[in-house]
Amino acid sequence: MSSIRFERISRTFRVGGQLVPALADIDLHVDEREFVAIVGPSGCGKTTLLRMAAGLDHPTSGRVLVGGRPVTGPGPDRAVVFQQFALFPWKTIRDNIGFGLKCTGVSRAQREPIVERYLKVMGLDGHGDAYPHQLSGGMQQRVALARSYALEPEVLLMDEPFGALDAQTRIDMQEELIRLSRVHPRTVLFITHSVDEAVYLADRVVAMDRRPGRVREIMDIAQIRRSEKWGELPVEEVMDLESFNHLRTRIWRLLRRGDGEASGHGVVDNPPLRTQPAQKTKLRRAQ
Amino acid sequence: MALATQHPGLRWLPYSLAGAAIFLAVWSLLPQAGIVPSALLPSPMAVGKTFFELTQEPFAGYTIQQHLLSSFIRFASGFGLAAAIGVPLGLLMGWYRWLDRAVAPIFETIRFIAPIAWLPFAVLWFGTGIGGPILIIFSGAFPACLINAYRGARLTQGFLIEAAETLGAKPRHIITEVVMPSALPSIVAGLRIGAGVGWQSLIGAELIVVSSGVGYLMVQGQGNLATEKVMAGMVAIGCVGVLIDVALRAAERHFRRFEQA
Amino acid sequence: MLRQETRVPVWLPGTLSVASCIGLWVVATTFEFVGPARLPGPKDLWESFEQLMDPGYAGGTLPQQVWFSVRLVLAGFAVAIVTGVPLGILMGMSRRAEALINPAFLVIRPIPPLAWIPLAILWFGLGNGAKIFVIWFGAFVPALINTYTGVRSVDPGLIAAARVHGARPWHVLFEVVVPGALPLIFTGLRLALQASWTALVAAELVGAFYGLGRVLMTAARDIYPGMIAAAMICVALLGASMTYLLGLAEAKATPWRNR
Repeated sequence: MSSIRFERISRTFRVGGQLVPALADIDLHVDEREFVAIVGPSGCGKTTLLRMAAGLDHPTSGRVLVGGRPVTGPGPDRAVVFQQFALFPWKTIRDNIGFGLKCTGVSRAQREPIVERYLKVMGLDGHGDAYPHQLSGGMQQRVALARSYALEPEVLLMDEPFGALDAQTRIDMQEELIRLSRVHPRTVLFITHSVDEAVYLADRVVAMDRRPGRVREIMDIAQIRRSEKWGELPVEEVMDLESFNHLRTRIWRLLRRGDGEASGHGVVDNPPLRTQPAQKTKLRRAQ
Repeated sequence: MALATQHPGLRWLPYSLAGAAIFLAVWSLLPQAGIVPSALLPSPMAVGKTFFELTQEPFAGYTIQQHLLSSFIRFASGFGLAAAIGVPLGLLMGWYRWLDRAVAPIFETIRFIAPIAWLPFAVLWFGTGIGGPILIIFSGAFPACLINAYRGARLTQGFLIEAAETLGAKPRHIITEVVMPSALPSIVAGLRIGAGVGWQSLIGAELIVVSSGVGYLMVQGQGNLATEKVMAGMVAIGCVGVLIDVALRAAERHFRRFEQA
Repeated sequence: MLRQETRVPVWLPGTLSVASCIGLWVVATTFEFVGPARLPGPKDLWESFEQLMDPGYAGGTLPQQVWFSVRLVLAGFAVAIVTGVPLGILMGMSRRAEALINPAFLVIRPIPPLAWIPLAILWFGLGNGAKIFVIWFGAFVPALINTYTGVRSVDPGLIAAARVHGARPWHVLFEVVVPGALPLIFTGLRLALQASWTALVAAELVGAFYGLGRVLMTAARDIYPGMIAAAMICVALLGASMTYLLGLAEAKATPWRNR
């Protein structure tokens, strides 16, 4: 039991004394072991939706159920992969991957083999004792994935996980993810800006509108993927397929049509929550 | 700070050497040429010689090493106390808003009192032995310890805390494994500032009420009009100050090792 | 950023804690859980202030003592600004000057200002000279270091931009470098002001004929807790109000910074 269900969700933010609706009337569900990607313009509330499933945000009305139970807070049953990787800079790669296990009370002796396994699975052999800053962006995101997978969660929530990577690394990681989800199938909610990425990875793609965020259309891709065996082809081959191009053009048309009505506004991309990464400022002190 | 650490580079070394030479020359020549009486400004050599003598023969009751030791013990106790209370309190204030709001008004009020101004009460409450000076050092070192731990905690990146939460971390994990390590560089910087203020406050206290320690040695030197002893005391104080700072700086580097250069 | 507990009004914890501190103080002194020889009660404090106003204590009334101390702080602080800031700018602008001055500075800097007091007394006696010297020294170091750091942190791109627009060195200094360094210069001045008060109190505690430190020391000798507390409150209030005034000056001098 690990489906995600959003029931009549709406969310308003207070920005400078004004109430701004971010999400309105969202009904969506992700079946068990299904991979659902949400695409949409900045400010359509897709990240907020994911944060609700993670328990890091709460709907103004409606409910979020994961595995049939209402979400009350964050927990290790739903792993989150962040765009900024969110690795702990003061922990080695090994300790980063083992962190969740440590918190859930797994003993050191039991942790070790699991950590070693994921180091191997993610192609991080030999980097276990490095600190995150010594690794490239792509490697860092592999660590973040390993950290999430190590908890063996039923649900994976990925918030633009490849958004901070360069184009080539990004493609490599997409393939990696496809490979992983074949070996370890999970329920995945995947947020992205990239239509190509969504079509390539997901069983279903949800296109969203903004101001307020609404579901515009949901497209089923699973069948085409299976019949054309996308999973066994390299990315560039898939992207060359007529079916792929057809799907991606359709989504682009949808998004563009929605965008025309909403452009020209200062859109709240990152609502001022406690999630806003505080800038680390150097303390200026003399003596 | 950059001033002390930055190497001006080999290109500027001649200027640095010239600067040092000029400094020493002016200091030695002023008394030698009779421009300033040597009773008021003993030459660097004289100060060095006196320093050596002070290590051999007791002055003001003890040799200079013993004075330094007794100063340092006071310093270590007061500073240790300030760090032991200030750092955890600062971290907790960074984490719990209500605690921040409860402590801040009192702390901000008391902070305006110069540490040395606590001296009369320190003596009245804890005597002139070790208790009084400890309170003075404490009041000097405490604010920096607290403020920097607080700031460090507040500046912990929100998404790291969230990441920890989604990985199943409980509040105690988040405090010990996320907030504390993230705040550590700031905490150590605070300890360095606090140590500086505490060390100086101790010297102030020793000048006034205590009957051992380097400060006391200097007051006695001043009473005997022995300028070279006063200056030897200053040298000793400066050296210990530098040593404390070097030790804490090494700690700071150690805790920053995971950061990008 | 961190925990947000919104149920409790923002002002409540602070009010409660301050109120309970005052309450505890009043109760402890009124019922003499702590004796009057150790901690003054509200009444003792009030009487001390009255005595300090008229007829005065330790050689002067409150306004006289305050004026005496404030004058010394202002004098020492002013000398520190006039010497520390230009020297900091010079060292920040010229590597040569930095390399030349640094050795002397490195020797002098680790010696805390208060450690200069005995030497200052030997050189200048117990009068104003020694105090101004110690205050100058305490304020000089932070003023110089922060000015230097401020000058060094000015974006070289801005200096280049000024140059390509035809600015003379003089213009670069006063229109780019100094304004760019101003925020840090003010940080230095705030620290310098704090150091000035510390140095003053210490110097007056060691030996003085007038001033708030003298009041403090006399009260300590007389074991007069009410007066000790009164003097401490005066020192804190004066320090706070001067810091406040400096903050106003900073806001006036750097209007482009949004606070």
